Amino acid sequence: MGKVATETVLDVNNLKVIFHTYAGDVKALDGVELSVRKGEVLGLVGESGCGKSVTALAVVGLLPPNAEIVSGEALLDGTNLLAMGKDELRLARLRDVAIVFQDPMTYLNPVLSVGLQITEIIASQPDLFIPEMIKNRLEEISAIEKSNGGLTRELQVEREKLQAASDTNRLGNDEQKRLTQLYAISILKSVRLPEPEKVFKMYPFELSGGMRQRAMIAMALVRRPKLLLADEITTALDVTVQAQALQLLQQLKEVIDTSVLLITHDLAVVAEVCDRVAVMYAGNVVEVADVTELYRNPLHPYTQGLLASVPRVDVVAEQKSIQGSVPDLMFPPSGCRFHPRCPKVFEKCPNAKPTLIEVSPGHLVSCFLFGG
Amino acid sequence: MVFVLFTLSLLIFYLTRGLLPPSTALAPYISPRIGDAGKLSLARALGVATSTCPSFQDFASETNGCIVPLWGQYYGWLVNVLTGNWGFTLLPGIAGTANTWDVFFSRFAFTAELSICAAILTIIIGIPMGIVSATHNNKLPDHVSRLVSLGGYSVPQFWFGAMLQFLFVLYVRVNGAGLFDATGALSTTCGICFSNPGVISSYSGMPILDALLSFNFPYFWDSLVAVALPAITLAITSIGALTRIVRSSMMDVLRQDYILLARSKGLKDRVVIYRHALRNAILPAVTVSGLLVAYLLGGAVIVEIVFSWPGVGNASLAAANVLDINFLELYVLVTALIIVVTNLVVDVLYSIIDPRIRL
Amino acid sequence: MRPKPLEAGELYGRRADLKYSLHLLKLNPVVLVGFIISIAALLIALISPLLVNPSSWHLQNLDLRLCWNNPAFNWGIGNVFDCPGKIYPLGTDQYGRSLSEMMILAIPIDLQIALEVVLSAVVIGVFFGSIAAYVGGILDELILRITDVFLAVPGILLAIVMIVVMGRSLFVLTLAVLITWWPFYVRLVRSQVLGEKEKPYVERLRAMGAGGPRILFEHVVPNSIYPILIQATLDIGSVILTVSALTFIGLTPSPLLPELGNLANQGIQYFFTAPWLILFPGLTILVISLGFNLLGDGIRDIFDPRLRR
Repeated sequence: MGKVATETVLDVNNLKVIFHTYAGDVKALDGVELSVRKGEVLGLVGESGCGKSVTALAVVGLLPPNAEIVSGEALLDGTNLLAMGKDELRLARLRDVAIVFQDPMTYLNPVLSVGLQITEIIASQPDLFIPEMIKNRLEEISAIEKSNGGLTRELQVEREKLQAASDTNRLGNDEQKRLTQLYAISILKSVRLPEPEKVFKMYPFELSGGMRQRAMIAMALVRRPKLLLADEITTALDVTVQAQALQLLQQLKEVIDTSVLLITHDLAVVAEVCDRVAVMYAGNVVEVADVTELYRNPLHPYTQGLLASVPRVDVVAEQKSIQGSVPDLMFPPSGCRFHPRCPKVFEKCPNAKPTLIEVSPGHLVSCFLFGG
Repeated sequence: MVFVLFTLSLLIFYLTRGLLPPSTALAPYISPRIGDAGKLSLARALGVATSTCPSFQDFASETNGCIVPLWGQYYGWLVNVLTGNWGFTLLPGIAGTANTWDVFFSRFAFTAELSICAAILTIIIGIPMGIVSATHNNKLPDHVSRLVSLGGYSVPQFWFGAMLQFLFVLYVRVNGAGLFDATGALSTTCGICFSNPGVISSYSGMPILDALLSFNFPYFWDSLVAVALPAITLAITSIGALTRIVRSSMMDVLRQDYILLARSKGLKDRVVIYRHALRNAILPAVTVSGLLVAYLLGGAVIVEIVFSWPGVGNASLAAANVLDINFLELYVLVTALIIVVTNLVVDVLYSIIDPRIRL
Repeated sequence: MRPKPLEAGELYGRRADLKYSLHLLKLNPVVLVGFIISIAALLIALISPLLVNPSSWHLQNLDLRLCWNNPAFNWGIGNVFDCPGKIYPLGTDQYGRSLSEMMILAIPIDLQIALEVVLSAVVIGVFFGSIAAYVGGILDELILRITDVFLAVPGILLAIVMIVVMGRSLFVLTLAVLITWWPFYVRLVRSQVLGEKEKPYVERLRAMGAGGPRILFEHVVPNSIYPILIQATLDIGSVILTVSALTFIGLTPSPLLPELGNLANQGIQYFFTAPWLILFPGLTILVISLGFNLLGDGIRDIFDPRLRR
């Protein structure tokens, strides 16, 4: 059960994004409001096309060239990512926020080895990583000492050198390269990849889907980010592999003390892993609540429809689906974007846009049924 | 590979000997002073007339039993060649009969120098231009580069070479001498040349290389200046082609998901472009390099003629005009060998760059 | 640059495709230039007999040698003398013929050769390439090896030898260039068909009982013809370059022949006294070749399915 900390790592306020296409403007995000609390796993659910990935990409500044951020801010620990210059943003990507994508086959560079794709992160700003690398290696050496009952001369020398270096935090070039490689291998080990030294040298096409996904998680982990965006990371995996990946995520979250925004359309995954959930529909966040609260007491008609459409093993019932279809965001519905499909629609809905209101502690809804 | 060379030699042999009357084979070697007996022994020496042929008139009127059949001629030529005897060549302008092999390879060095310089130019201009074009898609650098590359691809090389010559040799002048000198492989009368470059020892036959190896800077500089215009003319078309290929394949690659991930890792732009993107994008360009080498060697013929460059392409036109079979065969076979070897090298390079294609 | 949005319901179908194509066209306006040039060249080629008497290139008029009287431009060179009589827009050559007239006669000759070569190469390429790819086995090997042989020679040399041996005529010129060009097309078609024949619909056709040649020529080839046609358009320009290079080095039936490369060759010796003689023919070759290259490039940019969204 998630601990409720009052600090937030990510605050997305009123984010509006438009895509300019040949056919017209797609109003993809229409004022998204989102907060990720420190140390929690926030699930972001919604159907395909509702804007979940767009939100994540907007936060890290990786939207395609035809996208325009019309308004809004994304505050990472207080600083607005959307207002950052190029170099600042690059550093933020390196240190503070990492994103893991869906299909590791296309997201890993096929002509570069896995190891290189990890070490290059470290090499791009070594001073950020040196203290952690030294610490990690010293721990490794201590572990070897414990298990072998002593150290070889080589390792002893290495330990002394590292202890000296840990004061200055500077390493010679060769030392740095070697340490970088060892660190990368240890990260590969921590994501439970078998024979990490071998995997280090291998190429993406030589790995299985699950292994590739772990490699991509490793690339995020090595940065020890404050915030981890996981964009549909389980969608392309088999169910069993899915479970492993999620388990891994949870374990790692503890180890490096990060907060996670888990984007998915799979409600089961959400129930499994998340502390809180935010539900998105057609470019807006419509409901936010703790996991158990949301499943027990969904307030927004869309959430209710969503949960009702999940087939249940314990109750024999007809499969219900939400009437209508996902709106075309080039010509979105007026007012509340859900109103054409809403079973509880009334006169106010097409005419004004509802905002997120806290209905009970920690439970927010964006619906005129609850005020506004 | 052997098949290619063999078939090629057959093809050239057939073209030069098989389609015209046998007496044309003597044309390059006949001078008015040779009497009929001399002509007949020449025909025998060339393998065209049989030893039992009674007189030159019989040979010329192609009476039965006087002409060696084409296969026989080819066989005779092949045997000679395989024992290292490439016969004599009498190219117009070369005094006396000279050994084909020597004539060819002394001139080949100049062609090699020209082609290598053009190849270097192609790579150092074409690839960066393609990258810049792709990374600044639809902005000014892209438009300029597309214009230049398309222009280069469309311009007739002979005309371009002539225009360059007129511009720099005859119009742009320094101290009364044209800026460059476009005749021969070494100039001493151009505006930016040394007037007395001294001598060099001959290691490879290529002026630039030999000058470097002889530590003779004036000679080196002068040779560089001399090769500048021809190399640019030869390279202009392949620069156009290479830029376009690099541009389109870079644009393809930059759209890929792994580029998005690379950016999201906080890597510098330069690293993303040169390590992640270029590594993938260069593959089609490498594939095409084999064709480019063939193109450069072919284009050298025209460029050498326009600039009076003392290379093998220049001579090949003269050789073709007199159907000098020895020279032609040697030329074609050497070029084919180079092209085939280049393709093999390309295959190897390919497997180095792309780990998915390991042989 | 906000394009006008489509109406609701216009998102798919032919009208949407057309609008998208127009949008891409707007991004690549240079294609229109290529299109215009190509059409203009073809038009000039077609109406050339109406503009200039086709046999006028035989006539020499030594009184009119090397003169220039176009008032629009002054070369600024010493001994350019004025042509008597009517205006010659591009001056006259050393045989006293009007250069503009010779060029108008030359364009159809060059274009005709180019179109003949390219079309024949496409046909040969389609025939042998598709058979090689579809049938495979020894036939494929054989055809591949033969193309290897031709691709290992620098084409120019082969063409030179052929022309010298078989005589200097336009027919031999066309044939010589064709011989150097067809291997590319065989290879190109072969690789296209290789990719195409793996597609599921081919297997379905086979299961339905369709015979090999029928599947090949009625289905597979039309589906893979696309990049080949684009390459053909681009090659029209390249063939003109090759042909004019060959005539430039002297492989013409007659020095009087109105052909762009030949005109340039005749004119180069007079560069100081009559610079127009080499300048304009060369420029024309450049422009025509550029036109077809722009057109081919543009068509590829607009219609290549990989580049369309």
